[in-house]
Amino acid sequence: MALHRAGERALSCTRKRHRPLGLSGSFIQGVMARVDGVPNVRLDQCQARPGMVAERQNSWPSPRADLLKLFRLVPARWVRGGFEHTRLFPSGTRRFLWWERLLAFLAGEGRLDPAPPPSAIQPGRHHACDLLVVGGGPAGIAAANHAAKTGRTVVLATRGERLARGATAMGEIVTPIDPSVTVLTSHEVGALYRGGTLAVAAPHDDGPATVIACAQLTLATGKRSLPPLVPGNALPGVMDATTALALAARGSKALGPTLVVGTDARDRVATRLRAQGVDLVDCRPVAELKAVRGSKGVTGADCNGERIACASIVHAGPWRTDPNLAFQAGSAGELRLAAGEPAAQVTLAGFAAAPDEAVHWSGIADEATDICPCMDVTAAEIADLVRGGITHVEELKRQSACGMGPCQGFPCWELMNAVRAGVGGPHLAADRPSHRGPRRALTVAQAAGLSDVVEPLR
Amino acid sequence: MSGIVIIGGGIQGLSIAFNLARLGAGNIRVLDAGYFQGGASGRNGTLIRGGFGSPEWTSLFAHSNRLWADLSATLGENVMFTPRGYLIIAQSPAMMARLEGMVSLHRAHGLDAVLLTPAEVKALEPAIAAAGILGAIHLRDGGVAPHHAAMKAYLAASRRLGVTVEYGRPVTAIEQVGGLICAVMTGDERIACETLVIAAGAYSVDVGALAGIEVPGFPMRIEAMALEPVRPILRSAIALPDRLCYLHQTARGEIVGGAEVAERPQVTLRSDIAALAATARAYAEVFPCLASLRILRQWAGMLHATQDWGPLIGRHPDLANLWLSAGWSYGFAGAPAAGDLLARAILRDDLDARLKPFAVDRFRRGAPVREGSIVLAPVE
Ligand SMILES: Cc1cc2nc3c(=O)[nH]c(=O)nc-3n(C[C@H](O)[C@H](O)[C@H](O)COP(=O)(O)OP(=O)(O)OC[C@H]3O[C@@H](n4cnc5c(N)ncnc54)[C@H](O)[C@@H]3O)c2cc1C
Repeated sequence: MALHRAGERALSCTRKRHRPLGLSGSFIQGVMARVDGVPNVRLDQCQARPGMVAERQNSWPSPRADLLKLFRLVPARWVRGGFEHTRLFPSGTRRFLWWERLLAFLAGEGRLDPAPPPSAIQPGRHHACDLLVVGGGPAGIAAANHAAKTGRTVVLATRGERLARGATAMGEIVTPIDPSVTVLTSHEVGALYRGGTLAVAAPHDDGPATVIACAQLTLATGKRSLPPLVPGNALPGVMDATTALALAARGSKALGPTLVVGTDARDRVATRLRAQGVDLVDCRPVAELKAVRGSKGVTGADCNGERIACASIVHAGPWRTDPNLAFQAGSAGELRLAAGEPAAQVTLAGFAAAPDEAVHWSGIADEATDICPCMDVTAAEIADLVRGGITHVEELKRQSACGMGPCQGFPCWELMNAVRAGVGGPHLAADRPSHRGPRRALTVAQAAGLSDVVEPLR
Repeated sequence: MSGIVIIGGGIQGLSIAFNLARLGAGNIRVLDAGYFQGGASGRNGTLIRGGFGSPEWTSLFAHSNRLWADLSATLGENVMFTPRGYLIIAQSPAMMARLEGMVSLHRAHGLDAVLLTPAEVKALEPAIAAAGILGAIHLRDGGVAPHHAAMKAYLAASRRLGVTVEYGRPVTAIEQVGGLICAVMTGDERIACETLVIAAGAYSVDVGALAGIEVPGFPMRIEAMALEPVRPILRSAIALPDRLCYLHQTARGEIVGGAEVAERPQVTLRSDIAALAATARAYAEVFPCLASLRILRQWAGMLHATQDWGPLIGRHPDLANLWLSAGWSYGFAGAPAAGDLLARAILRDDLDARLKPFAVDRFRRGAPVREGSIVLAPVE
């Protein structure tokens, strides 16, 4: 956040073609850096401290003189999924060994110190409760308070450093939490096990992870706004409403001239941004946005033939629920894990329970429209695969590596499905590849601490 | 004209299909119930080694390891097999003694195997915590091959030779007349066949039941996980048999591996926290630098476990035109050899000596294969 406010917008870059990425609220790759020698730290989850050293990753020989940027000249088609098993460098030859080394060097984002200072395994914690609420927004607080009033033991876990961050940013009045509720702030719940009766939560820092055994589970994880499916959608300066509001709360100048696009609720976001002093140039339905302009960052937008100059594009819709945790709690199948009926003890609450909004796609399969920018997967690649007969979501994922980066499937699989449905016709069900935990929610050290906390299934 | 039907389009089914076609068989059809790479062949740790603890396993897998080295040329596709070396590391005196006994066996089978001291292991893998390591076997021709590359290569090569491979086609019934299989049903379609091969991975027991035969063993899940990508930090494919753990770093920079925990066999693709924690613990203790890395994803795959963990390969004793390649726990590494030798057995009636110990009826005969170096938890 501090870096973005200081005008440093391109914090990171895409895996293969080294195109710039920044703080977007959508794509995690954009905020990953090496901080004080530790690779792959999320800049949006660490507090800036005096003397902290944050370095750009995935650069060579140095972040300043980065020759890897030359990969931007490589046409997107050359590095589509599966490019690495080209017949030009078959295994069994000496040139394959060089090719593999090159691939491994380019793919490994961060540099790890082989002899780190000894980091003690953090013994894990264990909580048992009647109800676990995931999400610390108004709906999560209401669900937790309601259960606490009826005498049940409640744990509430939220990734925010305090409760109701988003609602507060929107200027809403928030109900206080019942004091009997155990609250875990700055904790990510990344994995659910055994039908949603065991959850793993871990703090963003290297504190101990917690296993929460719960009789009931309420997912009040809200919705996130998906980036528009147009060329330039991953440029630094395109961000979701939540991120924009958080930036604006820390100083309205950071955003510069701002265009808001979105679905029905976009006006509320625009009004709030303006109230915080943001220079709002326009507010449009997302379907009117045709392209984002800029090379290193946003410089403008094309809206229905009109050119709008701006430095930030804030999207407020379409809003969709991240299906990850509900999937993990309810998925079943022997040949494939697919979304099943959620178990009876699992409920969605609040905004997360509302219907998802449709993703608008023009049908133009452009190489500049990103689906999964972390892995350089574009709308053109997905559309070509579907047209070539690969329509199964699991095969699309394996073939393109869509969703195999740090976000692990959200928002990328939602965007992938919009293109898949748009190309293959509406008869394709909105089906997603298996969501898998723990999605970066815990480190090896944190997970290691859980080995004495849970019994294997015997 | 009826031909050969193979049930299961994992790496075993595809390798058999490719080798049958290469030897000139026509009219080969592979039917798979799921999606391409949906079985264990798309979910495994991708480690490949030739050397094990027994002569039976070593002779079969040494052959396979050699076939992997040339597999790209054989298939005309890039399987990305990388002979980065395979380390079996001992952390207990008992394991060290076992490894010391294995080197000569490995060499006798033509493998480039050497025993390493802890200092030599450390020189090869600087990320390892040398304390607690007693030594290792270094199988220098072992390594890994990403399953997405290997599977695509087998599929493309098989199709090029005229094999029909279909996914989303579950076999639901198997017909017999006079002690021979004559057809299979998939959906409403009846497919007549002269020869049937079951290579249905964990589901081979169920598929056998469709033919009215008992396939020994049972299905069970095992699990793996991937850490976020970093620049190269591990070179070899690594097994830690004392921790029931294996891992390697992929060409995409991720650290992929798993550790087994003893559990009641689970028939599910869901993963569990016990395996996650056990894997993380082994990593953090043996490779301390991995402790700060984040876990991207964890998944499970289904294996067909047998009483001795060895595969069931060969003709079924009760049905003369039914063949099996099932019961695999190292079926990724073993696929090139199994396909090569089984195809010859089917077409030329020439059963290679390396397959004989793994006969389908060995448990009936009371002749299991004793093998002491595999990385799997004892089943309770
Ligand atoms: C987590 C994990 C790690 C592993 N690590 C390694 C390793 O490092 N090295 C190694 O060598 N091995 C490893 N293995 C084992 C290896 O993956 C398997 O032994 C191998 O993939 C088996 O191949 P297969 O073709 O027999 O089975 P599968 O790949 O499972 O294929 C079987 C196929 O049969 C199909 N099928 C099932 N029922 C029917 C039906 N009724 N009709 C039609 N089709 C049907 C399924 O859809 C499936 O595609 C690992 C396995 C797992 C799960």
